[in-house]
Amino acid sequence: MLRIDGLTKRFGATTALGDVGFAVRPGEMFGFVGANGAGKTTTMRIVMGVLAADAGTVTWRDTPVTAAVRRRFGYMPEERGLYQKMRVADQITYFGRHYGLAPRAARRAADVWIERLELTAHRTDHVQALSLGNQQRVQLAVALAHDPEVLVLDEPFSGLDPIGVDALAGVLAEKRDAGVPIIFSSHQLDLVERLSDSVGIIAAGRIVASGPVDDVRARAAGSLLRVRVRDAAPGWAGRLPGRVVRTLDGGGDLLVAADDDQALLRAAQAEGRLEHFGWERPALSEIFREVVA
Amino acid sequence: MTGVRLVAGRELRVQATSKGFLIGLVVTALVVMGAIAGPRLLGSPDTYKVGVTGQAGQALKPALAPQASATGVTVKTVPYADEAAARTAVAGGDADAAIVDGPRVLTDGDLDPRLAAVVQGANRTVQSRARLAAAGIDATKVDRALRVAPLATVSVTGDTRYDGARKGIAVIVVIALFMLLMSSAMGVAMGVVEEKSSRIVEILLIAVRPWQLLAGKIAAFGVLGLAQLAVIAAAGLGAAAATGATPDLPPGTAGIILGAAVGYLLGYLFFAAASAALGALVSRQEELSSALSPMTLLMMAVYGVGFWALADPHSTANQVLSMVPPFSSMVMPVRAAATDVPMWQFGVAVAGMLAAAGAVLFLGARVYERAILRTGARVRLLDALRASA
Repeated sequence: MLRIDGLTKRFGATTALGDVGFAVRPGEMFGFVGANGAGKTTTMRIVMGVLAADAGTVTWRDTPVTAAVRRRFGYMPEERGLYQKMRVADQITYFGRHYGLAPRAARRAADVWIERLELTAHRTDHVQALSLGNQQRVQLAVALAHDPEVLVLDEPFSGLDPIGVDALAGVLAEKRDAGVPIIFSSHQLDLVERLSDSVGIIAAGRIVASGPVDDVRARAAGSLLRVRVRDAAPGWAGRLPGRVVRTLDGGGDLLVAADDDQALLRAAQAEGRLEHFGWERPALSEIFREVVA
Repeated sequence: MTGVRLVAGRELRVQATSKGFLIGLVVTALVVMGAIAGPRLLGSPDTYKVGVTGQAGQALKPALAPQASATGVTVKTVPYADEAAARTAVAGGDADAAIVDGPRVLTDGDLDPRLAAVVQGANRTVQSRARLAAAGIDATKVDRALRVAPLATVSVTGDTRYDGARKGIAVIVVIALFMLLMSSAMGVAMGVVEEKSSRIVEILLIAVRPWQLLAGKIAAFGVLGLAQLAVIAAAGLGAAAATGATPDLPPGTAGIILGAAVGYLLGYLFFAAASAALGALVSRQEELSSALSPMTLLMMAVYGVGFWALADPHSTANQVLSMVPPFSSMVMPVRAAATDVPMWQFGVAVAGMLAAAGAVLFLGARVYERAILRTGARVRLLDALRASA
């Protein structure tokens, strides 16, 4: 299990991370979501040792993650890091060598991933001649070439077209099925919901919700009510004692976060004929909007 | 060590196969070859064609060859039917000069000084023999009496025969050292910023230590610089051999080249470490030249002092500067090329430069290590030096 515990990081006066902790089991895909600047990248950089934490620990299989352990991790940084004037196959081989592969094994790994990620036509192209999506595939090949035990991917899907997303998702699912824990961050919440086994939502440097997707949704279910009132007077949403998170079904249904559900029930009844009133299992994106707001 | 070797190997492959590097190398080699072969090819010729006609021509003809060999040139005579034919030949460039009755010598403009010495000398010999004979004096006896061995020359300040050649080599050394130091130090800095700005370092530094990355990069550009120096030396020596100038080379040429190589290596370590540290402070290529300006200014100063030392390599100021790092990296090779340098001065220069390069490497590695992962705003040098990792 990859366990992140009590990570704290300050940059001058600002606290980037305050007691961030979560765990990713082998064979689990962990979607890491949060607004820009919430602390996703900082957390991942600390996991990869690119940044030192002020406090907290990162352990893999119950031992602290050291430089030697990290060489068995695969990492995709947020801004893509490739040599622009190096050929695709050479590039993958080069990084594979750094991550401990023997010369021949590194070349073989490059061949395997070039084929698997459909880069065969670009094998000997310089990276700078590739489209952004293809550069992304090379970056992924670099992260995967040494057959890592753990994958840490910062925004792996950004800039990919739907076909690229499917290809990447397919590769990641394969790795997960092989028992690799995967942390990935993304702003595409529907994608995170579709791919992740568990999620962590971070806001202002703190984890506000984490765990298996179903658990997070179920937990959030105690906070959101779906309300439908037939023939309500215009502006009824504003008169309800609670915050309207979203309107559903073309404006007929409201998703409301209320501290006092009974007060909300009475107010809804007063607005007209109450057709539906019940707890809602919100989508991840709704929870996200709720906690980030 | 694998990390260092991998980094250096990649850098060497990328640089050595880049068009810019190869073209630069060929151009440099051609310039050096031109500088050495040019004066020999463009300078005055060794062989002259002299037309002869009439009595004067016939009379001077046998005296021309011995006179020519005494001057160190070859003169071929070509007979012409009359003065008009000789005039046409000289005007048309078929002959360098023509001796006609009068006796006069026809030329196309000014007469080449060496040819003039031959022709006038031959004329003087022939005329004086004729007058001696007319006065009833035995010309051969006079010849024998006049044949005196030249004075032996002994230079009391040392062998100065090669001064010109040594100065020429010194000029090439100072220019080559400056170009190589600048290009290889810039190469290191640009590589550092490329990796920092693209976040390649984030992937690399998971697998290798910062010092390994730095050492590999510095080693690669150092090897490239030495290879370029070898090409320059080979081009120069090759051009000298091809044009027959090799005997003009001073006896210590191999030592001069070796001195330049040592100067380059020590100077390179000093400047490469400095530029790697300064390069690590910035996150974008556009900021690089301003970040590097302290290093560039210092290198320009070293170059200026090196060039200045050419004028008077013996002066006390230049003797001192040739032992003060980092000036010694350029002034000492220049002095070694231009003049004879006592061994102890070499020792002081090398020891001083080694110490300076070691110190800059140590500090540079510290700065690099602390600044390379701090992307965003430019890192202040003092912050990087002070910060406890």
